[in-house]
Amino acid sequence: MQSNIHYPKFRVGKIKIDIFPYWVALLSAGILFGLVGAFIVLRDGLQVTDLSNKVPWGLWISIDLSSIALGGSAFVFGVIVYLLKLKRFEVIGKLAVLLGFLGYSAAGLVLLFDLGQPLRFWHPVVFWQPHSLLWEVTMCVVLYLGVLVAEMVPIVVEHPFFASHPIHERFPVVRKLATQAKTVAHWFHKIGPILAIFGLTLSLLHQASLGATYSVLYGRGIWFNPSAPVQFVLSAMSGGTALLFFLGVIVFRVMRPGLVEDDVLYDVARLSGGVTLLLTYLRVWDWAVTNYYSFDRYISLQTEALNAIGPYTLSFWIGQALLPVIAGSVLLAARSVKNFRYLMAFSVIPIFAAILTRWNYNFSGLIATPTYDPYTPVIVVNSYTPTWVEFSVATLVISYWLLMFSFAARFLPFHSSHHG
Amino acid sequence: MKDNRNETSPADEPKGTTRREFLKLTGALLAAGMTQLVRPKNFIPARASTSDSEHQWGMLIDINLCIGCQYCTFACNAINNLSDDMRYCVVTTETTQSGDEFFLSRPCMHCDEAPCVHVCPVGATYKRPDGIVAMDYDLCIGCRYCQIACPYEARVFNWREPIELSPQSPTFGYQEVPNRPRGVVEKCTFCSHRIDAGLERGLVPGVDTQATPACVVACPTTARIFGDLNDPESPISVALADAKITLRLREELSTDPRVYYIPPDSETENPFQGN
Repeated sequence: MQSNIHYPKFRVGKIKIDIFPYWVALLSAGILFGLVGAFIVLRDGLQVTDLSNKVPWGLWISIDLSSIALGGSAFVFGVIVYLLKLKRFEVIGKLAVLLGFLGYSAAGLVLLFDLGQPLRFWHPVVFWQPHSLLWEVTMCVVLYLGVLVAEMVPIVVEHPFFASHPIHERFPVVRKLATQAKTVAHWFHKIGPILAIFGLTLSLLHQASLGATYSVLYGRGIWFNPSAPVQFVLSAMSGGTALLFFLGVIVFRVMRPGLVEDDVLYDVARLSGGVTLLLTYLRVWDWAVTNYYSFDRYISLQTEALNAIGPYTLSFWIGQALLPVIAGSVLLAARSVKNFRYLMAFSVIPIFAAILTRWNYNFSGLIATPTYDPYTPVIVVNSYTPTWVEFSVATLVISYWLLMFSFAARFLPFHSSHHG
Repeated sequence: MKDNRNETSPADEPKGTTRREFLKLTGALLAAGMTQLVRPKNFIPARASTSDSEHQWGMLIDINLCIGCQYCTFACNAINNLSDDMRYCVVTTETTQSGDEFFLSRPCMHCDEAPCVHVCPVGATYKRPDGIVAMDYDLCIGCRYCQIACPYEARVFNWREPIELSPQSPTFGYQEVPNRPRGVVEKCTFCSHRIDAGLERGLVPGVDTQATPACVVACPTTARIFGDLNDPESPISVALADAKITLRLREELSTDPRVYYIPPDSETENPFQGN
């Protein structure tokens, strides 16, 4: 089974080099660099960041939001595989679960550093405050991470190590543990549909609530937006599925030819394209409702302030409207395009748009803030430049994501459960 | 034979296992619900009724009397042991629509519908029955969502370890409350420690200085008036009744602040304010 996996090789003249060890070494260096920053943050607290009372949420929150969004394919394919019972998506659904697990665990990791009191990360689970969207997000993410672990176990246990390995003969306890892991995996696989329902519920709840976290803050002008929760759900579906397609082509078409049919990959691209178009449609209407059919003094002043310091409106029209329409249309026509290079290139756009959405959403309200002055309220423009420690922790989290993904892509079989 | 068994077993099994799993999941959910019982005693839901207490504390700031000396800020920093870059109370210079400058001093508004109370994920910020928006610093996880939610920028995060002695300390008083650890959000308490201790000793907050917030006591022009909004005889109720017009900050947000202002009046002469 292992022999089916083709490792991508890098050609230098006539020699073919397996770049995997170098890639792993590079990512390990990234993790080491990140651990330095992580240590400094935990020792000295958040004063080592450029966060301030004016901009309390910065780079890490943006990474956290993006990471959760790009794990969005897990709940979509949980439904497709377990509830709609579309068996041909089963294998690619496993990759979706992996991406979901990586996205959520990376988000949890970065949040740990973002808390002022990291050792109290468990407080929301015990000290309930159900009025708070952030409480709801925390509970959903914790529970959903549990669901994802339960969905991950059967995928990991497929590895031949759990069936037989010389070490099993030498240390019987390892064999016993491996057998038990297989039993647990079987159990989890059986309750797959229940996990899928839980996963769908929890995902829809918190993906929407992440948008609502900002959009309920009526004092912040530009954030107060009733359609943000829907936008966040759809953009997680579009970006997450586009990422699944991009990596699916690498993991299956390049590395495991024959395991997933091209048509299935085309369908993933079409799903991503369709949702991207739907999202863009909604988003443009949302722009019209907020900026054209109505007038809000704060929003208009904030937009003006943001445009003065950066391409805020331009990034919306190009990054969140024009490019997604093109990419969405191309991906939707995947079966006619039939060119994986083009499709992969276009699938980068929804991924990028999902990240851009969250980045813009987080920073728009923090950088341009309305004051409480009773007569002549103005918009204050705050500045924020992440320090090297913040970039270092960001490197840690991104390296973790890439390293785990690389190991999984290289070593996990991802074969169908209907073997043998 | 083998194939047959494989085909029939998936159809037979789900019924039995699903029910068992369902019961187990129900049990797990119940167990999760039980954690509600461990919540702290001072937990008050966000929309707690504010009529439980006989007192409802409020503050009135007469902008016409404020000379921008910042004594309120200095006194606050001294008794809360704050460094100069952490301020619960901020005095800024603002302008009216006609361009006249005035000083706006801003403590926490102690809103009735406080956004910070609604958004706190652990209930560390809560509303006391007497209307004060208070914090449990042992619960706060330092997520800073309340800072983002507050329309008045009234909350400050403790980025550093607590300091030994506030720079304002000998002049404006000494620390009266415990230090807060690094990594929690802090806020104005309306000097609830003075109010609580004063009431126990039979003092009247707003009248007796020992029971009145430090900023009110420190104000050299009595621009700040404090007292019980429920008591018609209290200084604040009398002043509110006398005031021709009052305003509250960002009233359009319906946060219902407990801090009232007497707006700048062009007919009042104030030698300290520029024109």
